[in-house]
Amino acid sequence: MKLKNKLVTAVLGALLCVTVAGCGGGGEQAASNDSAEHVVETTDVATQGAKKDWKIAVVVKDSSNGWFARMEQGVKQYAADTGINAYQKGPVSTDAAQQVQVIQDVINQDINALCVVPVDPAAVDPVLQEARNKGIVVITHEGSTCKNSDYDLEAFNNAGYGAFIMDKLQESMGGQGTYTTMVAHLTNASQNEWANGAVAEQEAKYPGLHLLDNPKRVESENNSEKAYQVAKEVLKSHPEVTGFVGTSSMDTPGIARAINELGLKGKVFVVGTGMPNECRSLIQDGSLSYITLWDPAEAGYAMCVMARMILEGKTIENGTNLGLKSYENLVVSKDNPHLFMGAGWIAINKDNVDKYNF
Amino acid sequence: MKRRFFKSTEFYVGLVLALLCIAIQLKSGQFFSGNNLVDLVRAFSIPAMFCIGEMFVIITKGVDVSFPAIASMAMFIVCSKMEALTSNPLLFFLAAMLIGLVVGLVNGYIIARFKFPALIVTLGTSSICFGIMQGVFKSREYPLCAPLYELGQTKLFSVTNPVSGLTSDMPVGIILMLLLIFVGWFILNKTMLGRGIYAIGGDEKAAQRAGFHVFRTLMFIYAFSGCMAGLIGVLRSTMLLAVHPNNLMGMEMTVIAACVLGGVRMEGGKGSVLGALLGMALLTVVDNSLILLEINTTWQKVFVGAIIIIGTAVSAIQSKRDAQKLTVQVDEGRS
Repeated sequence: MKLKNKLVTAVLGALLCVTVAGCGGGGEQAASNDSAEHVVETTDVATQGAKKDWKIAVVVKDSSNGWFARMEQGVKQYAADTGINAYQKGPVSTDAAQQVQVIQDVINQDINALCVVPVDPAAVDPVLQEARNKGIVVITHEGSTCKNSDYDLEAFNNAGYGAFIMDKLQESMGGQGTYTTMVAHLTNASQNEWANGAVAEQEAKYPGLHLLDNPKRVESENNSEKAYQVAKEVLKSHPEVTGFVGTSSMDTPGIARAINELGLKGKVFVVGTGMPNECRSLIQDGSLSYITLWDPAEAGYAMCVMARMILEGKTIENGTNLGLKSYENLVVSKDNPHLFMGAGWIAINKDNVDKYNF
Repeated sequence: MKRRFFKSTEFYVGLVLALLCIAIQLKSGQFFSGNNLVDLVRAFSIPAMFCIGEMFVIITKGVDVSFPAIASMAMFIVCSKMEALTSNPLLFFLAAMLIGLVVGLVNGYIIARFKFPALIVTLGTSSICFGIMQGVFKSREYPLCAPLYELGQTKLFSVTNPVSGLTSDMPVGIILMLLLIFVGWFILNKTMLGRGIYAIGGDEKAAQRAGFHVFRTLMFIYAFSGCMAGLIGVLRSTMLLAVHPNNLMGMEMTVIAACVLGGVRMEGGKGSVLGALLGMALLTVVDNSLILLEINTTWQKVFVGAIIIIGTAVSAIQSKRDAQKLTVQVDEGRS
């Protein structure tokens, strides 16, 4: 048994070495390796607390992924800002079984709080139960279906995110024109909620904009080539369209490529979910107005703030301020009293795209 | 010869296609505009290239469902690992073709040597390729490296619509498509290898007795299909200007449907390059004209399905009629 534990530790150690090597040699920009880089704007609330000797571990889905490298910057900044021992770990690839091992490893390191971004909520539930039995505070992110967490923190609610996309789109379109919406599939729940949120925001706030009559919503099949083709077809048959709401991260670059090629840059605008590295050149050449997403660094920081609050006996409730711009007014879910949502969306355009490397 | 053409599947698929094009033109007034045609050729190019490899396989009574996986894996490995090594786009293509060739040879060897059903074998290699790409190479969306990005932005020519002012670019990759179509046509119609492919599809034992090398021919077609899949994978990434590992998933069904629609028989031994391309053209036109036709998004899939069935039915009814006529003709000949 002891031998087995040693083996597991050895294997995990080896994996971590590989991970660190992988992160360092990934050809990413050198600036991102600065350990306490200031990536998240905070207020005093975020750093306040009675005690400083807490130990907080953040376990992510995949340590080799740029998204979570960005999250780690947030966690490192939290550690630097507060002096609390907060650190991030994760499996070398997105693998539920490996993640369970990493969690098991960190709960044996005398931690006070555990923040997890689960690969598979059902698979981590037993080990989260183990952590809670040891008195460890458990917080999940993107894991609202986990039964054994104290709280789940989400970056935003779906309708609010859609409204945010619309705010940016109407700004780009100059407050007037016709737009339509794109989703991966009409059956995709969250993307359609985002698109509905965008339409609701426009109807409530922006009388200068109109939703195209037919098609009101088109499908990209989560394929950026299809998004490109569909956008072209919409623009051919409906020249009055000057705006697109993209929801999937495949929609937005596809539509932008169509706009660029058709020679409609500056006349037709697209705003939607997208990844900075992939969309960078399209943003810089002006085909893509804004990409929207939530900042993983902020989410990582926010989880740590929340963990410390709970450790210090504070209760999390509707309106709780975590001291970060996107999380200064938490909203509790109607269906789940342990699920809290921020307003963690950000918009990236020409001016700030180079700040994000994932 | 002329009469045979009017009875062929190709003629009827072409007829359905022509009628559809006219209908779209009447409805939208935009179908025959230069920029729309360029858009269609572009959308047609990638699946059409897959059609060539797939029809070889179907003619020999097999079916290959592994090419999207081979293409994706080759594309991801090459685009994520070769960035630092070279800036020559040609080498990216060659490396991807080599990876595709290896997987194709594995497919071919298992199918030709052990006579396993092609569908099951290629389903297996497909799963393995996606697995290797995800597990070993940790596939994710990846920015396209500079040499391929540049190639992707190079255009053969652009067409601007004088009325709407909309411009469409013809990607240089179209040259590869034309080349591959020519090679496919040449092999099938002008070489002994092509005769062998038809002969094996008609009757494998008879082909063997007639002196065709069945094992080598089957190895060739799967290797060819795999090798071309690697090429097409990289080409696709230059058109997307990004590396999307799951982008081609599901395309096998469209390609098989196009081949069958164009008269390539699943029972083997029959099919032409023209037919398969017409089948693909029909599917491309339908898929890219639904908004021009003002068909509601909810109903688009129903419409696409209906066109596939109508297209197949027209040629199926025709060939059934032909079969009946054949017996009558024989009788007439005797009397």
